[in-house]
Amino acid sequence: MMPDSHTLIELQHVTRRFLLPQGEVTVIENISFKALEGEFITIVGPSGAGKSTLLRMMNGLLPPSEGMVLYNGREQKGINLDTAMVFQNFGLLPWLTVSQNIELGLEARSKDVVYRRSQVNRYIAKVGLEGYEEAYPRELSGGMKQRVGLARALAVEPSLLLMDEPFSSLDVLTSINLRNELLDIWSDRENVVNTMIMVTHNIEEAIELSDRILILSNRPGKIAGELKIDLPRPRRKRDPLFSEYVDRVFSLLA
Amino acid sequence: MKHAALPEIGISQILGLVELLVGKGGREDIYKLAGELSMELGETLTVIRAAEMLGLVHTPGGDVVVEEFGNKVVDASITDRKDLIRGKLEHFPLFKAIRDYLSSQEETEVTREEMLEKLAELIPNEDAEASFSSIVNWGRYSELFGYNDDTQTFYLGESRAE
Repeated sequence: MMPDSHTLIELQHVTRRFLLPQGEVTVIENISFKALEGEFITIVGPSGAGKSTLLRMMNGLLPPSEGMVLYNGREQKGINLDTAMVFQNFGLLPWLTVSQNIELGLEARSKDVVYRRSQVNRYIAKVGLEGYEEAYPRELSGGMKQRVGLARALAVEPSLLLMDEPFSSLDVLTSINLRNELLDIWSDRENVVNTMIMVTHNIEEAIELSDRILILSNRPGKIAGELKIDLPRPRRKRDPLFSEYVDRVFSLLA
Repeated sequence: MKHAALPEIGISQILGLVELLVGKGGREDIYKLAGELSMELGETLTVIRAAEMLGLVHTPGGDVVVEEFGNKVVDASITDRKDLIRGKLEHFPLFKAIRDYLSSQEETEVTREEMLEKLAELIPNEDAEASFSSIVNWGRYSELFGYNDDTQTFYLGESRAE
């Protein structure tokens, strides 16, 4: 984190309700937090705690029922094009090639085809996908598919990268590899994005990656606690301090 | 002529294994590792064997130990990793044989069918379809070969060794 970091995104008393057949349900209740520029934040909580809803309010896809989301100090209204999202199930279009899938996110932002192609090639290289340009998603392993998802998000050069359980549909070894590569990308100063917010249900993953963990309680999702992780990276699970953090997250979840 | 087939395991899993081992100080008991990963022993062994073929680890006794090359790959940037792995694959006899075959073709490319026939000749004991997709994957990763599924053409990539 930079010493002169400013608040990039702030949630103020955000509540979100949905109207369901059984009546009105509060999914998120009175959540407030700030993400500083350069921070890597994870949001941990049981499934159904409204983690994805929270992310969708941060990129502006969903308005809060109460409270507000401030981005760079201004109230956010509508989709925030300065954010990009990485999804659990990759969100790739099967009839498009790797290059075309990556270019997709850029089409809403730029009409300049030459610029779009150069961005695609730049981020294909960043995530290690050179050689796969004309491959279709069906020809790729899960790890390579998520690299495409990541490249597509990075190619729009967002200030804030939002990730919804990006590693949870990958096998255990692939997810180890992609977590390491994500940290490389985060710490690479050449990249525009240096603020990341990731939702996960994997506590060890949260401790391994983030500067700060927000712990959500279930139904409705509220912030049950917050934990700063003061461990140098790379973080090792067999480090006794690591296990202490695992215990602390568990006690906050309970 | 017979050749050893390529590992039918993706690079992400192989790198994940080596990264995990490096985090454990570079060595682990194979049986323990399989249990910890909650993977079947057979599956774990397949990944280890693939990592061994690439010179990333070796397996003395019942252990798996990271080689110096493995440490080098883990420390490298995402792009440098590809270059390092390409350096290994280039020297695989099967890859060399495929490259010679493509170089002898007019446009240094063949159809999928032609490539399957060639594979049946090069690695007769392997399932040609499975080998084909494995070679496409490793070829793409190393950028030594390319494949276009629309035109069903397999072609020689830009090899930096030449």
